[in-house]
Amino acid sequence: MIEFRNVSVIYRGGVKALQNIDLTIGDGEFVVIVGLSGAGKSTLLRALNGLVPVTEGSIKIDGREVVGASSRELREIRSEIGMIFQTFNLVLRTSVLNNVLMGRLSKVPLWRSTLGIWPDEHKEIAFQSLERVGIVEKTYVRASDLSGGQQQRVGIARGLAQEPKVLLADEPVASLDPVTSHVVMRDLQRINQEMGITTLINLHFLDLARAYGERMIGLREGKLIYDGNIADVDDRTFREIYGRAITPDDIKESQQ
Amino acid sequence: MSAEAQSTRPAPPKKSVKPYLITIAIIGFTIFAAQQVGFSIAELGSNLANAREFLAKFWPPDWEWAREEVPGPLIETFQIAILAAIIGCLVALPMAFWASRLTSPNRWFYYIVKSFLNVIRTIPDIFWAMLFVVAVGFGAFAGTLALIIFSLSIMGKLLSETIDSVDPGPLEAAKASGARHTPAVRSSVMPQVLPNYVAYGLYIFELDIRASTVLGIVGAGGIGRLLEAQRAFFRFDRIMAVVIIIFIVVFAIEQVSVYVRRRLV
Repeated sequence: MIEFRNVSVIYRGGVKALQNIDLTIGDGEFVVIVGLSGAGKSTLLRALNGLVPVTEGSIKIDGREVVGASSRELREIRSEIGMIFQTFNLVLRTSVLNNVLMGRLSKVPLWRSTLGIWPDEHKEIAFQSLERVGIVEKTYVRASDLSGGQQQRVGIARGLAQEPKVLLADEPVASLDPVTSHVVMRDLQRINQEMGITTLINLHFLDLARAYGERMIGLREGKLIYDGNIADVDDRTFREIYGRAITPDDIKESQQ
Repeated sequence: MSAEAQSTRPAPPKKSVKPYLITIAIIGFTIFAAQQVGFSIAELGSNLANAREFLAKFWPPDWEWAREEVPGPLIETFQIAILAAIIGCLVALPMAFWASRLTSPNRWFYYIVKSFLNVIRTIPDIFWAMLFVVAVGFGAFAGTLALIIFSLSIMGKLLSETIDSVDPGPLEAAKASGARHTPAVRSSVMPQVLPNYVAYGLYIFELDIRASTVLGIVGAGGIGRLLEAQRAFFRFDRIMAVVIIIFIVVFAIEQVSVYVRRRLV
């Protein structure tokens, strides 16, 4: 279970990225977070795994406090949270396998990761992760030789290789075309259903949120505006989140 | 209203006199400096008129002497350069990561290592050679130490600046997975700069070969000591032979190195 209690994040320079967020997310939930750029979506995810320091409040994951955790505790917390990025964040100059094995870094001693000598059971986990997202045939291909959609699936496999309890996806399809976006979203949905990994996804586009989300969280200027079933979201709620009515710009299908 | 009237086209920016002033200042300073150092085209011309006499001292090169005396010091030059390039580049590898804002474990480390690299780089290689000759005595060992420092300082700068400019995304991903600093850097940043590292290593080997040819002048071993000894005896024909050999060797190594580097990056 993930619990945000009165969480505020204020960046240097005084920008209030999050303001007094209260939020409880149960195990295995599939949560979509929507909002404008700068609404605090990224900050919310990054506060959860301690990449962004929290100014005030408490964040607990299965009872473990993230705020004020020592660097060792933070590493332990992070090792159970997979993260997926808008720009994939793969090492392009190395193989898909090496990229996925990065998800195992916290589980092996320094000399092994330095020399790149991975035990078979860790490689096995990497292979299984690649099979989950359906690109195991690309295992020994250089990451730079993959298409955007394939690179994002490697990114997901890297997260899965951590054998995480939680997956955070920060705008996972914002750099992809509509067709590939659906493939990646379906992967994430299937992984959530099959493996029961709690999944939090930041999305820009409302149609994708509607198609795949169950629960939706709406942020605006760092404040929680909406938290509820996505089926109940009406135009009024939408206006509250985006500050205006729906336009074609908010629909990924009309983007091409 | 016409379209022209509605749009407000910006006025062209005012032409600045700055570039002209800077150009005049550079020309002025060049003339001033030339006068100060006694640079004179007329003198150079009258000296060149004696070129035949001058060149006669250098020609023909003394190949017979060279065949006997050059191989030993030439091999020593190679050994100094290879050893210095390898050791210098190995030591520079962790230091370059410490001297980059992206990968330094903390700010103190960053400032200390960066300053250290900056300081050793300001001292020219030949001066390092003089220092080490005093410290460990005449010979190739002093030259090797000098060029290790030289290699280290260049690799430290080139590689740390390359690290500064890599994509930080993969490092964030590694950190987000709970990896410690060193394994995270090793697996996410290292692969990005490895081809550059090898290319810089070859380039530094080139520089070391060139530098080690003159180290002998201050008594730090290598082929340069032949130059110094023969200059003392005014044997310019022998110097000519050595210079030609150095030219061929350095040129050949550069060609190979440039070819390999081009395939790397």
